[in-house]
Amino acid sequence: MDNYIEIRDVVKQYDGHLALDHVSMDVPRGCIYGLLGPNGAGKTSLIRIINRITHQDSGTVKLDGRAITDDDVVHIGYLPEERGLYKKMKVGDQIVYLARLKGMDKATATAEMQQWLERFDLGEWRDKKLEALSKGMQQKVQFIATVIHRPQLLIFDEPFSGFDPVNADQLKAEILRLKQEGSTVLFSTHNMESVEAICERITLINHSRVVLDGNVDDIRQQHKQGILAVDLSPGQQLQPCDALYTILPTSGSGRETQVRLQAGVSMHDAIAWLNDHCALTGFHEILPSMHDIFVNTVKDQDHEQA
Amino acid sequence: MSKLKLIIAREYMSMVGRKSFIIMTILIPILMIACVLLPIGIGYLNREGSDVETVAVIDQTGRYGSALTDTDLYHFMPLRGDTVADPHKFYAQADGQLAAVVVIPHDIDSVHQLTIYSDKTINASLKMSLGRQLSDTITRAHVASYGVPNLQQMIDESSVNVDVKSVKWTDDGTETETSTEIAMGIGFVLAFLIYMFVLMYGAMIMNGVIEEKTNRIVEVIVSSCKPFELMMGKIIGVALVGLTQLAIWTVVMLALSAVAGSTLGLAMGDTFAMSNDPAALQAALAEGGNADMSGIVQAILGVNYLQIFLAFIFYFIGGYLLYAALFAAFGSAVDQANDASQFTTPIIIIMIISLYAGMACVENPNGPMALWCSMIPFTSPIVMMVRLPFDVPLWQLALSIILLFGTAALMVWIASRIYRIGILLYGKKTSYRDLIGWLRR
Repeated sequence: MDNYIEIRDVVKQYDGHLALDHVSMDVPRGCIYGLLGPNGAGKTSLIRIINRITHQDSGTVKLDGRAITDDDVVHIGYLPEERGLYKKMKVGDQIVYLARLKGMDKATATAEMQQWLERFDLGEWRDKKLEALSKGMQQKVQFIATVIHRPQLLIFDEPFSGFDPVNADQLKAEILRLKQEGSTVLFSTHNMESVEAICERITLINHSRVVLDGNVDDIRQQHKQGILAVDLSPGQQLQPCDALYTILPTSGSGRETQVRLQAGVSMHDAIAWLNDHCALTGFHEILPSMHDIFVNTVKDQDHEQA
Repeated sequence: MSKLKLIIAREYMSMVGRKSFIIMTILIPILMIACVLLPIGIGYLNREGSDVETVAVIDQTGRYGSALTDTDLYHFMPLRGDTVADPHKFYAQADGQLAAVVVIPHDIDSVHQLTIYSDKTINASLKMSLGRQLSDTITRAHVASYGVPNLQQMIDESSVNVDVKSVKWTDDGTETETSTEIAMGIGFVLAFLIYMFVLMYGAMIMNGVIEEKTNRIVEVIVSSCKPFELMMGKIIGVALVGLTQLAIWTVVMLALSAVAGSTLGLAMGDTFAMSNDPAALQAALAEGGNADMSGIVQAILGVNYLQIFLAFIFYFIGGYLLYAALFAAFGSAVDQANDASQFTTPIIIIMIISLYAGMACVENPNGPMALWCSMIPFTSPIVMMVRLPFDVPLWQLALSIILLFGTAALMVWIASRIYRIGILLYGKKTSYRDLIGWLRR
């Protein structure tokens, strides 16, 4: 596969604390990639290294097949978790300034700024100082400043925090549109719903190390625990069959019952049996949520270390 | 446009556009003028506003009390010594009508001492006036007591007041009249300007750094440029703001003095035109105020402005760089302006010490303290500006400037090491030890 970012064995140490311990990661071109991990795991350290804000002690970072250099920052758009802009600067001037720092010329930056502001219904705020805007509007301005120079790589650190649901949807749509246009997107988040919704691949970092990575669907398949949701005709009871499955305590209402298959029992066999013995109207396999995988993996690892 | 230029331009525009810049540009000269005029005005008000108070003078000698003449503030009421037995009782009986009671003892000729009594604090001007008047009167009385005819006249005629006129040889041997007072004044004003600018604009840089850090924009900016570029952009941008302010003041001052000069010239022309007698005009020019005037003008012109101006620019830039780098480094190490005082207090103390050292150097401009303080880079920008009118050897000037710029460059390097780590660190109280640790990283 064609990788846009290739990270190999990156080590970073701060004052005797190991922030990144031989971290490797491949981000395919045009992919929406999730970088997950609990607070303090080393996500921000890795992002800052890709952004050339800090430098790794050892290991390599390649961008587009070449070792990354300071000049590559023009190909990167970065939205940090802690948002920040100049409060006393006018919205339009601010966007143009940041765009020019990323190497755009003044005329192009001004034209693009105008288009983006209109797309986000902020046109009339162009000559207002940033502090006059609501928090949501300020977030949008920051998003524009991140993407205006059409970077090939977008790095978003917790992009949805601070957005209301309507704006979060708009933001999600914009991110998907940028992907369509060919950008590679690296997400850092603990919001697992958004990971399931838009990330294709992930890397999970815990205690400065990569503990899990790969395609989101594959990971969920690998972590499935043989749980089946079964729909029966109204009034029917599920018959127990200890050789095949155990019935899980029903969560909530509805006719759906969940069962866990016994080890070695194939789903095919279980469904065949159920079809013969119960009035089965429907079934589907329950894949673990990314949330559960995240929590379990991190817990298991912490347990091992303890 | 390079990133550094972009950052400089943003810093410059964001400051010059602010109301505070316009207000400070207008306010500072007014404040400086006020500092000069205020003492004069207060002195004037002091004399104008108050009533003349009466001071009773109980003269036990019977000779000197009546010789006292009233001042602007006090009327002296001489009384014979034998009429008042108890000065305190007399003062109390006057019931607040008297400001004080002065007792001239009968043996003042030998003990040379008199006493002022009052239930209020005795005014310094009253003490001075009494002391001066009686010293003079008693001296004259002593002179007369020798019985030598015309002795007082002889003493008066033989007393001489020497006027010191200083002439400076230029390299080709021509004479220019100088005035140390004027040169000193110019040197001191320039030293004070450096002091003010370093503290004012240094604090601006620090606040700017803290603002970017607390705004969290710094992470966005350093993902586009190097921390060093951001720091230098701020330092240079703010310096340009300072130079703009200086330029505005210079232009305004030149314009004002041109206007003042032409009106003054016209006024003088009028006086000359009115006096039709050429001889009287010449006499007036020779000994009148105009002679003094031309002397002052010549003295003002005698100061080596080019040297002072060039030195000022060098020390201004060097001193500013040195301290601005420190302020930027300290700003990056804290989360809010309140926490910065542990770092800024030493800077302010050093600045105040150099201002006092500068003042002291006026007394002995070539002494060891003046020499050392004008070499040490932290004090040299101020002290050397004060020393400069007293003909500092060129090697000293050159060495001092080289030391200053060398240290400033070192300080910028140190500051950039601290800055690049400090700006990304939050929520930790930074100590001097941490800063030294960052240098090694």
